[in-house]
Amino acid sequence: MMTMSKSSRIPVPAPPGVPAPTTASKKRRRLPRNASLIIGLVLTTIFLAVALVSIFYLPSNPNIPVIRNRLLPAGTPGHWLGTDVLGRDIIAQLMVGARTSILVGAGGATFSLILGTIAGLAAAASGKMTDEAISRGADIMLSIPGMVTALVLAATMGSGALTTILALTAFFTPSFTRVIRSAAIGVLNEDFITAAKLYGRGKIFVLARHVLPNIAGVMIVQFTLYFAAGILTEAGLSYLGVGVHRPSISWGMMLNEAQQQVGVSSPLAIWPGLAIVLMVLGLNLLGDGLRDVLDPKLARRAS
Amino acid sequence: MAIYALRKLAFFLGAVFIASVAIFLLIRGAGGNVAAVVLGKSATPEAINALAHAYGLDRPLPVQYFEWVRGMLSGDLGRSFRTNESVADLVTARLSVSIPLALSGLILGLIIAIPVGTYAARNVGTPSGALLALVSQIGVAVPVFWAGILLSLLFGVRLGWLPTGGWTDWSDSVWGAIRSLVLPVLSLGLIMAAVLIRYVRSAVLDVMNQDYLRTARAAGMTRTEALLKVGLRNASLPLVTIVGLQIAELIGGTVIIETVFSLPGLSRMILANVAAREVIVVQSTVMLIIIFVIGVNLIVDLLYGILDPRVRSTR
Amino acid sequence: MTGTQLNALEVKNLVVHNTALTAVRGLDFTLPAGGRMGLVGESGSGKTLTALALMGLLPMGWQANGTVHHDGVDLIAQSDRALSSRRGRTISMVFQDPLSSLDPVRRIGVQVSSVIRRHTNVGKREAESQTIELFRQMSLPRPEQLMRAYPHEISGGQRQRIMIAMALACYPQLIIADEPTTALDVTVQKQVLRILNAAVKDRGCALMMITHDLPIIAAMCDTVAVMYAGRIVEMGPVAEVFRNPRHHYTKGLLDSQPTMDNIALDGSSRLASIPGMVPPLHSLPAGCAFHPRCAAATEACMTRVPPLDDGSRRTACWHPIEASVAMVTA
Repeated sequence: MMTMSKSSRIPVPAPPGVPAPTTASKKRRRLPRNASLIIGLVLTTIFLAVALVSIFYLPSNPNIPVIRNRLLPAGTPGHWLGTDVLGRDIIAQLMVGARTSILVGAGGATFSLILGTIAGLAAAASGKMTDEAISRGADIMLSIPGMVTALVLAATMGSGALTTILALTAFFTPSFTRVIRSAAIGVLNEDFITAAKLYGRGKIFVLARHVLPNIAGVMIVQFTLYFAAGILTEAGLSYLGVGVHRPSISWGMMLNEAQQQVGVSSPLAIWPGLAIVLMVLGLNLLGDGLRDVLDPKLARRAS
Repeated sequence: MAIYALRKLAFFLGAVFIASVAIFLLIRGAGGNVAAVVLGKSATPEAINALAHAYGLDRPLPVQYFEWVRGMLSGDLGRSFRTNESVADLVTARLSVSIPLALSGLILGLIIAIPVGTYAARNVGTPSGALLALVSQIGVAVPVFWAGILLSLLFGVRLGWLPTGGWTDWSDSVWGAIRSLVLPVLSLGLIMAAVLIRYVRSAVLDVMNQDYLRTARAAGMTRTEALLKVGLRNASLPLVTIVGLQIAELIGGTVIIETVFSLPGLSRMILANVAAREVIVVQSTVMLIIIFVIGVNLIVDLLYGILDPRVRSTR
Repeated sequence: MTGTQLNALEVKNLVVHNTALTAVRGLDFTLPAGGRMGLVGESGSGKTLTALALMGLLPMGWQANGTVHHDGVDLIAQSDRALSSRRGRTISMVFQDPLSSLDPVRRIGVQVSSVIRRHTNVGKREAESQTIELFRQMSLPRPEQLMRAYPHEISGGQRQRIMIAMALACYPQLIIADEPTTALDVTVQKQVLRILNAAVKDRGCALMMITHDLPIIAAMCDTVAVMYAGRIVEMGPVAEVFRNPRHHYTKGLLDSQPTMDNIALDGSSRLASIPGMVPPLHSLPAGCAFHPRCAAATEACMTRVPPLDDGSRRTACWHPIEASVAMVTA
């Protein structure tokens, strides 16, 4: 691979999954500045609470078929959202699904955050060669379709929650690397870093003590948005049957099962989809809101 | 421009090389005894060895990789273990579904997103602008397969206007093929549009605040004229890059939508072959898709060079 | 062109505001045809918004009230469409930063010749040859090659000359130049001004020069209006105003200039400065907006806004400086 000067790089907009940067728009928004933060926080908290409760309490076992209860309509006492074709309670399944979504989405985002931070900081703080190698590598990985990567991983490793998390990590890490690299470069160019270096501070010290705290806002926003993207991807993979399997339950899997009987009982296809939309919407709003509240200057620079 | 193009080409070749090694290692390195898996538990060791030998699976991995790349370069993508069909034929047969689907989905997304995003940018701070922002924010959160399921519920099941799934081949009935593509394209296009609207909106907003738009008006253009003639051309620069990046997303969406509507496309073929452990089919097909995506990005970069004189002349 | 115009611009009670702030608070002035007026003031005094209001190019959210008579119409009352047919034809503007003001992705020749084609009935070739001729008038080197260049490929001084060419392409009655040399290297500022000056003179078009650089006004204009906090505080012939400033703000401005009348800056010159800062728009003081910074302020200045008197020398001050006093300090 040939080396290219930094300036030769085309300015690339935010990677897929990151909502487009809206700088001017924010200021003129009619809603109160942090409306999206509040709505996002409320939605996210609800789903986190549901997932937490599901560990200790479920209205009924979501995996054991009860044939006499099959396809109960919504509103049936004890099964307020009804049951599926095997008589399994929808609410119980949705609750376990929330747990899976959060586990996989947060897992993928966490690993990507860790790897992306290491790679991004290394690229920002090391020499030109390292930076080129990491940046080009990230570009290459970004151009590989994530869904296809996930399929291949599922084929070779067998599908399951862990594989899905790994696939998400492979898919998201380059985006994290890029965002964290450019945020870190922004901080490294500030005068106080030069001052710290003049004091003879080591590279690692400067990164840990000065750069990380200053890009924490970017990292949190990025984490939130990719948490959401991870939930969408997980749902897609489980829908395709290469995500999680029972006894784990995923909203995507529920939609797959529901579609088999789409003509028979359409309400089944509504609830899991609604859950996905609300959870992802909540996280995206939360991420946008956080971007406003935390350092907006840094967020803009990073995207 | 020549140096710029050469650099981009070098990046393309490097990316394809690295991706091919990664895919090969991922699929073959972790796969265990492929022949044994393919033939199942009842197979004799002789049969397993015979199959492995016939497909070169018993050779060292570097040799296999080299053979695979050499084959790809000469147009030989390998053969299926079970049916012995050539991968090239398998792929070609599926392209008549996947390409129209993905391409129409992208075009529909752009057709919706460019005017709507421009409108949203011009109406920032008004109720209609806020409504559009909200709608696209929700649209981004909708999984493409759920959109597909809902659309097929509405237009297929409730109204009965269009098939809920399945495929009529072009050779049987062009009209039938189009009918079976309408809902898949609609699902893909609407979700693409939701994502793209946000990008278009922020690109146009950015351009609207540029001094050169004011100059265009100072020279006699109306507000709208300046936005359409000068603004959109400048806003198209970031958009071209975004569309390039969205290609990977588009492929992901196509994979899922083909399943939702039971279309016999490329991605459904990959899924089936993943399940059947047809490593050569999967490996070659996935590699083709990756080459396609990286290739589109190469074209996008070159297009960028043509559209933006600053990139072209200084580098 | 309509018949003879006595005045290039008649501004009456021009107010520019958005929902929260009023940046320009009632301007009255007349710029005769072919006249050259300087508009000075510190940043935030409302100079640029005044210019943009005259052009009908106010940023989103800002609105202009009052009347601006130009070429037989009231510019404020015109629709964007009606205004657009005048902009670049009867009234045009040169902006501060020529790099960001030119379209980065279109060739320079196209950007200038399209203005000619928009406003006159000439064909493509004719517009192009007119453009080349314009470039020649602007002393631009190799005008033919320049036609095919992009803005980023040429120097800042050349870009600003392109902007001037674009503004003058259709022989407007009035050209507004908003700090046309601020973004340029000092070495080319003079050259650009000389070219602008010559081209304006050539065409007999009126000039409104917005700047905070008093020597530029002295060299290029015949009248000067001094703005402070959205109002004109003093106006009159350049020579008189600069020699005998009557408003304390004008005097402060003159005293804080490092150079006047082409005097080279030597280390010995003692610079005065006006105490205090320009008040922010959202908390303008009552009465004369300048009173907190004015040594001569009295009770009256704090409560009542001084009117801008009429005549050739106009001052808005309760306690104008007497000519003799100014002479002593000058």
